[in-house]
Amino acid sequence: MAELSRPGVAAEEAAPPAVAAPTRRLDIIGRRNVFFLISLVIIIPGIVSMVANGFRLGIDFAGGNEFFLAFQNRPTQQQVEAAVAQEGVNGLVQQTGNGTFIIRTSQTDTAARERFKSDLEKKVGPIDTDNSRDDQVGATIAGETVRSAALAIVVASTLILLYLAFRFRKVQGGWRSGFQFGGSALLALLHDVFLLCGIFSILGTVFKLRIGEIDSLFLTAVLTVVGFSVHDTIVVFDRIRENMIVSSRLTFEQVVNLSIMQTAARSIITSFTVVLVLLSLLLFGGDTLKGFALALLIGIVSGAYSSIFNATPLLVVWRRLQPVRR
Amino acid sequence: MQFVTSGLVRAIVVVLLAFSLFVDGAGYVYRVVNHYPLTGPVPGLPPSFGGWPLYMHYGLDLKGGTDIQLQLTDFPPGQDRQSVQQRFIEVVQKRVNALGVSEPTVQPGGGGNHDRVEVQLPGVGTAQAVKLLGEKGKLVITRWVPDSSITAGPYPGFKPEITKMTSDMLTSASAGLNPQTGAGWVVNFQFNSEGAGIFNQLTTDAYNVCQSQGTSAAQCHVTNWLDLSPDDIAQWNTKGLDLYKSRDQGGKLISDPSIPNGAIPNGQGYIEGNFSQDSAKNLAILFNSGSIPVNFTLLSSYEVGASLGAQSIKLSVAAALLGLFVVIVFMVAFYRLPGLLASLALLSYAGVVLAVFKMVPVTLTLAGLAGFILSVGMAVDANVLIFERFKEEMRAGRTISAAVDAAVRRAWPAIRDSNTSTLITSLVLIFAAPIQVKGFAVTLAIGVIISLVTAIIITHNMLAIVLNFGWARTGGLLGVARGRA
Repeated sequence: MAELSRPGVAAEEAAPPAVAAPTRRLDIIGRRNVFFLISLVIIIPGIVSMVANGFRLGIDFAGGNEFFLAFQNRPTQQQVEAAVAQEGVNGLVQQTGNGTFIIRTSQTDTAARERFKSDLEKKVGPIDTDNSRDDQVGATIAGETVRSAALAIVVASTLILLYLAFRFRKVQGGWRSGFQFGGSALLALLHDVFLLCGIFSILGTVFKLRIGEIDSLFLTAVLTVVGFSVHDTIVVFDRIRENMIVSSRLTFEQVVNLSIMQTAARSIITSFTVVLVLLSLLLFGGDTLKGFALALLIGIVSGAYSSIFNATPLLVVWRRLQPVRR
Repeated sequence: MQFVTSGLVRAIVVVLLAFSLFVDGAGYVYRVVNHYPLTGPVPGLPPSFGGWPLYMHYGLDLKGGTDIQLQLTDFPPGQDRQSVQQRFIEVVQKRVNALGVSEPTVQPGGGGNHDRVEVQLPGVGTAQAVKLLGEKGKLVITRWVPDSSITAGPYPGFKPEITKMTSDMLTSASAGLNPQTGAGWVVNFQFNSEGAGIFNQLTTDAYNVCQSQGTSAAQCHVTNWLDLSPDDIAQWNTKGLDLYKSRDQGGKLISDPSIPNGAIPNGQGYIEGNFSQDSAKNLAILFNSGSIPVNFTLLSSYEVGASLGAQSIKLSVAAALLGLFVVIVFMVAFYRLPGLLASLALLSYAGVVLAVFKMVPVTLTLAGLAGFILSVGMAVDANVLIFERFKEEMRAGRTISAAVDAAVRRAWPAIRDSNTSTLITSLVLIFAAPIQVKGFAVTLAIGVIISLVTAIIITHNMLAIVLNFGWARTGGLLGVARGRA
């Protein structure tokens, strides 16, 4: 067995892909325009919403105060709202599923916040501090969070593009070809990021749902989706790279189609297992993680879709526009 | 890159697994023997090995407490910013330690500007934390000097003048009961010789005025303030009365005693100020820790109740276990024997990762927990890639052992490239991301690296070992249409 693991035997061992390929064939490359259209139909409303409405900002981006208060005497929302209104701090009151109240105010002064809390205790009832949270974010920190997040996305994307170009530089066409692979992966990645952000913009601003709030956990989710999206795309591209070597008689379109078919089972199964884990997180993971799990769920499904139906067709289109010598 | 199933590689795997078992096992044996709870730090000697802690460190969002970001301003001119920041941190640490907080962290930030400090206090509320940090803690002692322009304030015609005495001249301060009456709390203090000399002069002057003009005269008093500044005195006509209020009422006054009974020569005495036990203790802590050398503002604070954090852990762990269980059921149903082996690899993966988290130590936050759960998904992916490839190679007509080797070798470039890109993302996040995302990036990066090792080496080795047995080489167990030995 160890003998078979020797490097350099790959070529002689290579199984003829035409035999190994599944018999059923879907011509994904031939119908690429349909898939591009589907993506656009999903993405465009999201982009419109992002431009027109922006996002529903979480406390770490908006700045200000957010209290998660659990009252021991279980007051109604009206009671809490009335008490908050008397404070004159532009407070927004929301009640969560387990009876905790989320109150947002614009104060940033500690003494004022403590006074606010003790006033509420007097008017509504004692606060269960063990089950409460209190976030206060100044404008400086909020601005920095957004800036460093944007920087992280740009730097990570650039590095991934360079890494892919480096890894795929050995296929026919050299570095130019490498950047075609890397660039297509990057476009698919942007597709996933826009789709995810668009859906959250719609959830947060059109449906006014708290789950559509953009906070640092959402940011984490976007960055994870970036990683996963590239992950999926690389698996397909890696197969294309391999098939380009072992089956030089096929056209590039045929190689790409074949590679998609060969990796489809893996893409579906892997995405499915991750979706299983995320579903359990979404259903049982507690309030704080729900929005995060939903974002990941959307992003991972989108990532699996885009690697098959966007990244690879894009690669074919790109190679047509900018041919490399075979 | 080849993973030869050599004795050396197998030895590494065994050492790795033994390491994770040792870390977890030793920690839990210690806890059970000593009747401590199974998670979190334990009092006294914690489970540790050669200085490495063997318990999970939880972030504030999981164990409850306060996180405060401070912006330092008004650095004293001509001083090294970094050393000013360091001094600030030392003072804060002394105050925090005096409060008896377990596992506090006080970290410098702000990069080259040295103008940020982050303070994390488990089990302490924001109000208490801010009270602790919110004052520079500088004892200011003033005498009263005549000034005809002063028309308002506690003593019209007089304003306070800051003396050369500072808290730095204090050698000790402590809270105690009033030594004369035995009731009511006071703060005892002791000045060094320089301070004692100045204090002797001050009290002598005041005593002489008391003798000639009575105790209601302004200059009969030696007044104690907390953080009274020259700016405050410059606006004495408008702000004087407010500043002359106690700290509870928003002023800066500690006490304003008259000196009717003679000078205090030895620099030793006590401050009466209608203290409660807590406020006397807090004041003593402030004096003992020294004064904070710069001004600062609160950038953000974050407070989580303890039960809320415990609940988050419970829910996330339950979700993680459920997810792991579902994945294992799915893998075994779909891939049979290899699926079972991959599940074992997955469990050892989880064991190694948790052991590494304890040793490093990684502070586990909610986002960090999510990163760990996600890395489990990535570990599964590597196995799926290998098994799908294995089925393909079997269909192409290889023998079982040849197919296993070819599958691992052919799947490797995809596994390497995809995990490298995830690693790139998490490394960028560790360095560039906002602080809340860092915990996630750290656990994801550790998870990805370890999953590469377990998925490729452990799964491959287990397959190779098990396939030595004839009973394992059947198509049904391997999940392929036909098996050839």
